[in-house]
Amino acid sequence: MSPPSTSPQSRLPLRFNELALLAAIVVVVIITAAVDSNHSYLRQPYTSFRDIARNVALLGIFALGAGVVIIAGGIDLSAGSMIAFSGTVCASTMMLLAPETMINMRPVGPLVAFCGIAAAILSGFLVGTLHAWLITAVRLPPFVATLATLVGLRSFARALCGYVTAKTLGGSGNTEINVYDPYFSFIRDHIWYVYVPVFVALAAFTYLLLGSTVLGRHIYALGGNEEAARLSGIRTDRVKWFAYCFSAVTASIAGVFYVADQSVASPVNQGVGYELNAIAAAVVGGCSLQGGIGTVPGIIFGVVFLRVVIDSVAKLIKSGSDIYEGMIVGIVVVLAVTFGQIRQIRASGRQLFPGMLGVIAIPTLALSIGIITAMTTANVTYLKGLDVWIGLGVALVVLLTLASVKLTQVSSKP
Amino acid sequence: MDASSPIISIRSVTKKFPGVTALAEVSLDITAGELHSIVGENGAGKSTLMKILSGVITDFEGEFLLAGKPVKFGGTRDAEAAGISIIHQELNLVEQLSAAANIFLGRELRGWLGLRDDRAMEEAAGRLLRELECEIDPRELAGSLRVGDQQLIEIAKALSLQSDILIMDEPTSALTESEVARLYRVIESLRKRGVTILYISHKMDEVFHLSDRITVLRDGRLVRTLRRSETSAKEVTHLMVGREIEAVDFGGQRTAGEVLLRVENLSLPWPGHARGYRLKDVSLELRRGEILGIAGLMGAGRTELLECLFGAAAEIPSGKIILGGREVRFRHPREACRAGIGLVTEDRKRLGLFAAMNVGENVSICTLDRTGTFGWINCSKEWAMAGDVSQKLAVKTSSLAAAITSLSGGNQQKCIIGRWLLTEPRVLLLDDPTRGVDVGAKAELYRLMDQLVRGGIGIIMTSSELPELLTVCDRILVLSEGRLTASFLRSEATEQKIMEAATLGAA
Repeated sequence: MSPPSTSPQSRLPLRFNELALLAAIVVVVIITAAVDSNHSYLRQPYTSFRDIARNVALLGIFALGAGVVIIAGGIDLSAGSMIAFSGTVCASTMMLLAPETMINMRPVGPLVAFCGIAAAILSGFLVGTLHAWLITAVRLPPFVATLATLVGLRSFARALCGYVTAKTLGGSGNTEINVYDPYFSFIRDHIWYVYVPVFVALAAFTYLLLGSTVLGRHIYALGGNEEAARLSGIRTDRVKWFAYCFSAVTASIAGVFYVADQSVASPVNQGVGYELNAIAAAVVGGCSLQGGIGTVPGIIFGVVFLRVVIDSVAKLIKSGSDIYEGMIVGIVVVLAVTFGQIRQIRASGRQLFPGMLGVIAIPTLALSIGIITAMTTANVTYLKGLDVWIGLGVALVVLLTLASVKLTQVSSKP
Repeated sequence: MDASSPIISIRSVTKKFPGVTALAEVSLDITAGELHSIVGENGAGKSTLMKILSGVITDFEGEFLLAGKPVKFGGTRDAEAAGISIIHQELNLVEQLSAAANIFLGRELRGWLGLRDDRAMEEAAGRLLRELECEIDPRELAGSLRVGDQQLIEIAKALSLQSDILIMDEPTSALTESEVARLYRVIESLRKRGVTILYISHKMDEVFHLSDRITVLRDGRLVRTLRRSETSAKEVTHLMVGREIEAVDFGGQRTAGEVLLRVENLSLPWPGHARGYRLKDVSLELRRGEILGIAGLMGAGRTELLECLFGAAAEIPSGKIILGGREVRFRHPREACRAGIGLVTEDRKRLGLFAAMNVGENVSICTLDRTGTFGWINCSKEWAMAGDVSQKLAVKTSSLAAAITSLSGGNQQKCIIGRWLLTEPRVLLLDDPTRGVDVGAKAELYRLMDQLVRGGIGIIMTSSELPELLTVCDRILVLSEGRLTASFLRSEATEQKIMEAATLGAA
């Protein structure tokens, strides 16, 4: 069936869906450059590129971890809380080691900064180990184990933050710890020196890990068929231990970066919901939630695509675009996965809008697309006042298009 | 079978999949009330034909007449409504639901206020199952039942649908001899009711025991339809493979060497079960250069025995396992691999194959660390290693990069055996290695096993087919309900004696 290959790897450097994703990224960039009224991609290419690179690196670091766990047939829902937790651990450690300097907003020095970062990364390793223990020894489903830490770790981080600040500052404690150290502001101000190299190094590490090591192959085997992997003499519990530690450690590295980025460790609102962005990026990049399938280039393109689309909407809408981030992620995930299956859907002759489900799904889609259009056009200056009509028009067009898709599919069926 | 009009009639049916023609211009008449066997090697087109008849495949070229009228099914529900039910080789049960719920799945009986009436369904299911000599509680979960009983649930479902045409796709492939006998009785009673049965199999004894007529498919074409009374197993096999299968004696003049593996009083507990144990005081010896067969009904503990030897059992076994003179106690299959034991599992798809990986990766998975240092894979070494062994075993594949799922069952099995040969085992455990493998490939596997033991390893194999054990093994041990009940040399073993020993504890 497949073409003869002399290469030991069946995985080509880039596969079809990765190329498609790359093309989609280029298309989105070109459209944004053309449509954006400020033309910021054209006028300030460097700034725009830098912003995207920064966001790609921040999301990419822990999306790689999420991807590895997904390929290993698991899921890690805790990344967002892990980010908040590791950031808090980092800041708390520095607070405990050098309370005076932290309170007076003076540099803490390399040793204390190093200890803070090391403690954060260690916390990732420990949480990963906890996940692996819950999953392999207690036999909790990964979803339950990491859901528990998703909920638990953030609260733990908040309590820790309050406890440490109360100890060092007296009083009832704070909900966040400010970090003014120059090492951290260096990280923030020099994205090409820290964020991006760390992301690239991590991506290269993961690429080699999955592609060229025994452990990597065992990760694919574990995700593809756990029982067969065990009966092939693979110590599946250890592979899982590695996968969950890798995921938690990548999240804790991201946690340090978020502290640097915002000069504060704020367990209440740092990293909220980010675990889903990471999982979405991995899925958009072609990782199968059933496990056993996925590549590092895919995950990276998934991250880039997600960030480029979010950035594009920010450029087009100007103000308050962060409201739309969740919608964008949701839509992108659905479209990307649908696109991946479109050939299957066509080959099987399956209807896209079957029966009564289709009859109700079509107006639902039309209505939501219409409302989203109306809401977004309301912010576009030269379309002021026309938003309701544009929304209605778009909804009508969508309704008619989808209805005609349904009708042609029904009539083509005997 | 008189010249009554055909109930199913297909005219020049052709079905093409990307790259292959699964069926080419097949025309066939099935007479009402007959038992019509469809035989052919794997890949001959049997399954495709059955999928067309049962509405699984809806787009094909050609005509399909049911009782003289052209029909066009939109799906399996249409086929069921028209009275055609299929019992798939891989059963389609929801394991988490009860037997009764499975029988009435999608057609649940309703009671007061349209609420589901479980009681009525359980009673009806119980009646159907009793008719089929099946003694299970309809409230039991389908997943907790033996394969033989699960299959009867599917048959009960077909009965509850009032199907007058029943398609059975290799129904005995996972059954023990006594379950097969029960299935024969069920088939007999179905025929008395006038049910037309299409029976797919590649076991000649079954086909000749049951059929009125036999249709042979080869490479998607219909070779011939024969009356049972006018043909012989030899002729049919010949038509299937296009050549005679030589009745080779696989295993003459082998001499066993020193003891490789000794098992003393091996017991495996079974918590929560009335019997309390899966295996009890099993002792055996395996010598270098011999094939030791383990016979037994399903549930006798064959698979569990092999799992104990491989360190893969769910519970911790007691007793001694002595490998090459040293006592071993494996806590993980990894340790068994290291010590030179390999296990080819019974359920290839669920426990053996990595469907998302290619042929080469499937072959090399156990021996990756040998290709490079510090956990790196040396790809060219890996490929050379996998290529060597797959060539040695004559695996038919377009390349090592082909998807493992594109291979036939026999070739997949060879890949898994190859995977273990690369670990250079001293003892190879084969759990029903020819399950779902066609006739020609079976002979190849037997020959391969003979070569391997002559090369100096020891093989323990189980099989659900007694003739296979009698052909291949030097000695045969019989398990019954977890205990060893008999041991035969090949020269003294007969199917009769083995069956007696296998049913000893059950009485």
